[in-house]
Amino acid sequence: MRTIFQLIVTALLFSFCSDNIKNHNAQIVVEDGTQTDTPSIQMSDRQMDRKIDEAEEPKYPDLVGNWVGYFERDDDQSREDKTLYVDEGFVWTRENKINISIDQIKNGTVTGRSIVAGNDRPFKGTMRITDEGNHHFSLKEPGDHRYDGEFNFTIIDGRLQGTWTAYQDIDIKKRKYDLEKRSFRYNPDVNLERSKQYVNWNESLETIERVEMDENEFEEWIAQEFATATDLIYTINASNTNLTKSQVENLKRGDLTIIRNTIYARHGYSYKNRPLRVFFDAQSWYIPVHTDIKSDFTDLEKENIELLLRYEKNASEYYDSFGRG
Amino acid sequence: MQRSKSIITKTLYFATLLYFSYLMLLITLQYIPLRLDVAFLNIKYDIIDQKFYQLAFFSHVYTSIFVLLIGIVQFSSSIRIQFPKVHRLMGKCYVFLILVISSPSGLIMAFYANGGMISQFSFVMQAFIWFLFTLLALVYARNKQWTLHRNFMIRSLALTLSAITLRLLKWMIANWLEWPPMDIYRLVAWLGWLVNLGIAEIYIWKSKHLRVV
Repeated sequence: MRTIFQLIVTALLFSFCSDNIKNHNAQIVVEDGTQTDTPSIQMSDRQMDRKIDEAEEPKYPDLVGNWVGYFERDDDQSREDKTLYVDEGFVWTRENKINISIDQIKNGTVTGRSIVAGNDRPFKGTMRITDEGNHHFSLKEPGDHRYDGEFNFTIIDGRLQGTWTAYQDIDIKKRKYDLEKRSFRYNPDVNLERSKQYVNWNESLETIERVEMDENEFEEWIAQEFATATDLIYTINASNTNLTKSQVENLKRGDLTIIRNTIYARHGYSYKNRPLRVFFDAQSWYIPVHTDIKSDFTDLEKENIELLLRYEKNASEYYDSFGRG
Repeated sequence: MQRSKSIITKTLYFATLLYFSYLMLLITLQYIPLRLDVAFLNIKYDIIDQKFYQLAFFSHVYTSIFVLLIGIVQFSSSIRIQFPKVHRLMGKCYVFLILVISSPSGLIMAFYANGGMISQFSFVMQAFIWFLFTLLALVYARNKQWTLHRNFMIRSLALTLSAITLRLLKWMIANWLEWPPMDIYRLVAWLGWLVNLGIAEIYIWKSKHLRVV
């Protein structure tokens, strides 16, 4: 009996960590627009560019600028199958935070950009005044990108409301929005709010539990645990504090990922990665402004990013494997 | 029945240890060819530029796998009885590698261990005790005090095997309790060798009693 028991234990051990000295599939998401190997230009340069534009065009100060809010789906059919239900209380109906930046209005011609879900697309079109005296815009994206489309909106009482239709046959063809005017300024001191839990649904652990319902009657419960973050993400700021080894080495992977990505969010980075996007979209201060922030980081941030990445990589490769880093 | 049982137990003992030695070999192979930017060294970036640390680290990594394998094989009674010369030669290698390379290099690394004072103190103690027990086992063999030689070699092997226990415990805690990484590290830095020494003492105590009976 004892030998059989030992045999089982050994077999279990073998199967658990067969070859498991390292997680070879470990992947760290570092999007192209956030690489730190480019030298930083002065932060103000980008703002200077804008200032010059604004100085030349003092017209329509109420219309020109960033309009921010949720870009929601506007198709009622087959709504269910495109919605993502991850966990109890975590639902994503595929809305993304959008920033419609109206840059210039000149002789009825409007130019600007829309930034959403990691895409920064220019648009061009016309503005007219409606019978009610509101400003109505019809704007077109160039069409050489899969997710290009046409915007139609009206600005009424300081809110920008309208619709968007894709040119191509994509997953969600129609969207609607109700945006408010916001100005973007990089603020290293802003911290995360407790608005939405970070759930990385791409990484989960499935546990199957057998529960005895009645005598000899079993039911299998499948529970999924998703990679997530702890409360430390609300207190550690990697944009205004020089993080030390001892502060970082005890952090779990989810925390490291969020703390690093919060640096990008402060710079107005628009995420391609869905779990990160959903998490940061829910932050009230977050505005997607750029898809390339490579030259925006401060030296402090670059150092912290390097440190965080080092431990993130180590945590993903070795945290729960037999080998160690 | 008794005989077949002991064969199965023995096979299990060797199979388990050889399997984990294989994992340790895979870990060692990560550092061949010699590189300073892989695995464990990625989080030793603040010390790895120092030549003395590199020397300590690589001599520790490259020799420890042999110490482990020799240590496991030395407890085979068939080799010991049938080929006493082989037992003696391998024993000398084991003692030499620990006293001259593995333990001193382990001590140097212990001073810079991750996890601060708690884990550093544990690894320093371990390096000293490993050295001491192995040395005593050698002295008792020279004096032909075989029971004492055996007991201290069991203790020495227990410490040698802490390389495996440490990683196994870390793996279990990370998967079941999901503690933060450095908390796990500080805990297993101690448990890794204390658990093994405890088992070794129980084993020694038990066999002493069996003999008296």
